[in-house]
Amino acid sequence: MLEFYLGCSLLLVVVALYCFVAKRNLVRLVLAVEILINAGNLAFMGFAAYRNPNVVDLLPQAVVTLSIAIAGSVTAIALTLVLNAYKHYKTLDVTELRRLRG
Amino acid sequence: MFTWVVDVLLLGAVLQPSVAYLSSRAGMRRLTPLFCIVVLGISMALFYPLYGEVSQGIVLVPVAASILGSALEVDGLGIFVGLVAVLLGLLSAIFSFRYMEHDSGLGGYYTLLILMTAGMVGIAFAGDLFTLYVFWEITSITSYVLVAFRKDQWEAVEAGFKYLIMSASGSAILLLAFSLLYGMTGTLNLAGMASVMKRTPLADSPWLWLTFLLVTVGFGVKAAIVPLHTWLPDAHPAAPSPVSALLSGIVIETAVYAFSRILFTVFSPAALSWAMFIAVLCLVTMTTGNIMALLQNDVKRLLAYSSIAQVGYILVGLAAGTRMGVTGSVLHILNHALMKGSAFLCAGAFIHSVGSRDLSELAGIGRRMPASATAFAISLFALAGTPPLNGFISKVLLFAGAFEAGMSWLAIAGVLNSVLSLAYYLRLMLTFINPRPSERVRVAKEAPISMLAPILTMTVLIVIFGVWPDPAIAFADKAAAALMNVEAYTSAVVRPP
Repeated sequence: MLEFYLGCSLLLVVVALYCFVAKRNLVRLVLAVEILINAGNLAFMGFAAYRNPNVVDLLPQAVVTLSIAIAGSVTAIALTLVLNAYKHYKTLDVTELRRLRG
Repeated sequence: MFTWVVDVLLLGAVLQPSVAYLSSRAGMRRLTPLFCIVVLGISMALFYPLYGEVSQGIVLVPVAASILGSALEVDGLGIFVGLVAVLLGLLSAIFSFRYMEHDSGLGGYYTLLILMTAGMVGIAFAGDLFTLYVFWEITSITSYVLVAFRKDQWEAVEAGFKYLIMSASGSAILLLAFSLLYGMTGTLNLAGMASVMKRTPLADSPWLWLTFLLVTVGFGVKAAIVPLHTWLPDAHPAAPSPVSALLSGIVIETAVYAFSRILFTVFSPAALSWAMFIAVLCLVTMTTGNIMALLQNDVKRLLAYSSIAQVGYILVGLAAGTRMGVTGSVLHILNHALMKGSAFLCAGAFIHSVGSRDLSELAGIGRRMPASATAFAISLFALAGTPPLNGFISKVLLFAGAFEAGMSWLAIAGVLNSVLSLAYYLRLMLTFINPRPSERVRVAKEAPISMLAPILTMTVLIVIFGVWPDPAIAFADKAAAALMNVEAYTSAVVRPP
């Protein structure tokens, strides 16, 4: 079963990377970050359940609970920035946010 | 709970909004920054008793939830990085007193400043990856908000968003890497991991390499290792200058610290040969940083690219992996915090009185603001590595360490890069003593004393650590020994089986 969870986690990473490359909407980029965080969470949960047979470790569950809370605050800030970006640029298209040269 | 140093900071961050609210109701708005300065000052004073304990041996602070194996483990390196973070936080807070006085939302600003410092000290003290991850996110989230603090400017919002997306993905990748490390070892405690890795050699297993790559990417985004640096030249200039000083001076170094801690404590016992990989990364990082800095016309962007190059120098010592090289890296973290902190605060002082970051607008500013410009010139000479300033000492140690490890090509590349960097530092200085000042510069006035005080403190430290480096080297050497002595770090937690 562990392979299944790790495979799903890998799938989520691929989805997130695809989102980063192909999507142009700011909100979708925020969602891509969320998906990437969930890939880590899922891998943690998989290891917690199946690493040792017959034992469920509490440590990863604590990590994941906290990580979900952290992901929530990151998203909150990201959406605030999206809102402010919309006020300045009147669009959610990421290709319009190219005034800085990086 | 997290040692007094961090507790005071966290408590201060909780109280700061109420203090800000009450003081603005009472019509004494100046209390807000003063409270922040006092909190950071107390926290810095508390380092003294902690240092006494650490010099006796590693200080272990079990956190209440000890079943989770989470703990703080303070050793020579942790206290070194934590002290630098609080020092720079304190000086930036003093600088903000006048620099930010016309901004609104100052209660939030100072709260975030304290929290960011607390996060960095927590990273430096963390003894397990759980604690490290939580403090890591505290630092990251506060820094996103601080970069985009002036949200009425499009530049800050765009840079902040870009920074958030890149850095948050980096943290997510780090979480994935931590889960793999947990899967391999069954613990998140660094010392526990080290002992498990030692007992079950996994060298060259593809899982270990995958984890190593994920860790490198995760920390590399935050530490601005090329090619993951693209957020830095946007985010650091867009932030208010005291925040830029903190971000460039210590936040990226904290990432380098956490990276090196995991490299030495987890991957070294696993017999993973990472030295050459890091050596190539640091060569690319310093060369790209220096070349891009040559092309900039914005004083803060130029300094931001120079930070990327300096991260490359710090990595030289880690790649070398010898005692001398690592001492150089640790010392360079302190020196870079002083040099780049001072440079960004001076740039902030110029921007405060001229209102522009463009080099052509700043031409001749040195004649109007002699004190700040002299301090700026000293910090630039130190950044370029000119004797007798502190940057020279740490660079000598770094490059000597690279020679010692048989990576002479890296040392030569580092020296050539230093020469290259002198070109744009000299260009900055020539601009500042230009005899034909621009329109805006003609009316510029010298910075007020509360802005000059932190700048001059750092300048004095730059000169002292250059002329009389022995105490700093001794401190850094102890820190390097603590990093490299994995046995001692492990045996403080794990009883030998």
